[in-house]
Amino acid sequence: MSTMIRTVELTKTYRMGEIEVPALRSVNLEVNKGDFVAIQGPSGSGKSTLLNMIGCLDHPTSGTVFIDGTDTSTLNDDEQAKIRREKIGFIFQQFNLIHTLSALENVAFPMMFTGVAREKRIERAKELLETLGLLERARHKPSELSGGEQQRVAIARALANNPPVILGDEPTGNLDTKSGKVMMDFLEKLNDKGETLIIVTHDPEIAARAHRIITMRDGILRDKK
Amino acid sequence: MIGMDGIILAYRNIKERRTRSLLTLLGIAVGIAAIISLIAVGHGMQYAITEELASLADTIIVFPGRMIHGRGYVELGAFTERDINDIGRIGGIEDIVAFTSGIVDVEYRRERTSLELVGGDPTDMEELMGEMVYLEEGRWIRERDYKGCVIGYSVAHDYFEEDVGLNDRMTINESEFVVVGIFEKRGDDTDTQVFVPMRTAQDVLGTDDLKSIMVRVRDINRVEEIAEEIEERINENHNLDDFAQTMTMTSMIEQIGIVFMIVQVVLVGIASIALIVGCIGIMNTMLMSVMERTHEIGIMKAIGATNRNIMFLFLMEAGMISLIGGILGCILGTIVAKAIGTIASAYIGMDMPAIVTPTVAVGSILIAVLVGAISGLYPARKAAKMSPIEAVRYE
Repeated sequence: MSTMIRTVELTKTYRMGEIEVPALRSVNLEVNKGDFVAIQGPSGSGKSTLLNMIGCLDHPTSGTVFIDGTDTSTLNDDEQAKIRREKIGFIFQQFNLIHTLSALENVAFPMMFTGVAREKRIERAKELLETLGLLERARHKPSELSGGEQQRVAIARALANNPPVILGDEPTGNLDTKSGKVMMDFLEKLNDKGETLIIVTHDPEIAARAHRIITMRDGILRDKK
Repeated sequence: MIGMDGIILAYRNIKERRTRSLLTLLGIAVGIAAIISLIAVGHGMQYAITEELASLADTIIVFPGRMIHGRGYVELGAFTERDINDIGRIGGIEDIVAFTSGIVDVEYRRERTSLELVGGDPTDMEELMGEMVYLEEGRWIRERDYKGCVIGYSVAHDYFEEDVGLNDRMTINESEFVVVGIFEKRGDDTDTQVFVPMRTAQDVLGTDDLKSIMVRVRDINRVEEIAEEIEERINENHNLDDFAQTMTMTSMIEQIGIVFMIVQVVLVGIASIALIVGCIGIMNTMLMSVMERTHEIGIMKAIGATNRNIMFLFLMEAGMISLIGGILGCILGTIVAKAIGTIASAYIGMDMPAIVTPTVAVGSILIAVLVGAISGLYPARKAAKMSPIEAVRYE
């Protein structure tokens, strides 16, 4: 199987005044296409930092991240935005929907930056909402939706541009057990169809669904399963 | 590109913060309204004055003297019959009237005052001045009215305790005259003058001097050319280089145009201060908006927006606020200008329309958008340059 994500000696150090706080220490990770990886570890162990590096949201202090063969450390802001837009779908614990836009518009929003025509965007957004069982809530603003519904809108948004990789940062963290289960079922189905999943989670049940569990402690990575 | 969607999104965000957006665009609107109304009123004033002068566009006035810096008008002598005859020989001239004038003592019902007496050929005078000065009462003087006079509006109504009426008698330099006509108010020299036939004026003033000549030409386009020729011929007669001074309305209209341009520049400069304040308002609002939406900017970046996309969205918003402000200001300015025009017309009795030309209207809207976009530039850059991770974490 070919490699989708590869990090080489990935290091991130935060500076807090005089003190340097290492968040990632020479992390080497390889994730294959179609893999489902769960990252576990205590708070502050660097799991979210790792996810943000992979998602091109943050710059490493040293080391590199390869996404689908592209060395992202050599890319400028615009090129990194293109990677985020085309290769990666992000799901956050706080859902992070845009509150002025309706569910449908939130899902269609990322396609605006890829230059998809308006009608096509709406069509695709409707399709995605339908798959997630939210079509009848399409016109509602995020504040009018339940947590589970918001997270499903967020998943639809993450899938809008058909990215090969989905990154989830505690995606079930703000959901009740039932909604969390519905969501994970859906993500698992996506994974079965070949989507690469990397999920940061505290929940052992969710981790158990993964093909591979990685544990992080003090910025150092350990494979578990 | 995200052109149309950017516009829709910007509109949504403006609507979302309705009150603040309204106040911000009002700032721009006031600035634009101030500029537009001042320009319109300026144009109106210029129009009113040049219109008035344009009715005299075919007239040349000739004086035997010139303006000397620091001393005003200095008379260098008087015209002669020969000058009049020579002017008459220039082609393209319709009428010539020579005037003599001087200060006289006027007594009416035991009140005395000094006024300017003007004498000219009664028929010529009526022909030339009939179109400019209208009679309030009575008729023009005639050749056989040796002791008849026509008086200006102020002479009749302001100079003496009692109003001077038609057929009243007044004493001018010890000889008695009958008022045969009274002019309407004109707001110029004629209001304070007394008009008599040339022969009478020469007798009363004790001189044959001709103090000014009024010439009317057939073709308005030849006014300047004929004026030059008149100067040349008279200067030749008197053997002086700068004896005769001609004044045409075209040259006056030009000068008034220059004066008004200076006035306009100053007024618009003052009005621009209001616009600058409006711009600061836009910058302030946009900076606040960027701060408040830091998290949103982070989300947009996380889902793939480039720095340019973000910048465009915020610039669009600033541009749209200023566009609406500009349009509103345009409407507001036009209303204010029309109001000023109407009030001023009523007060000065001159037609003073508020003129908002399409160029001024479109130009000021463009300026509004331009300055709005410039004000939005800094906040938009600030938004665009945010680190995605820090922005998305911002609560």
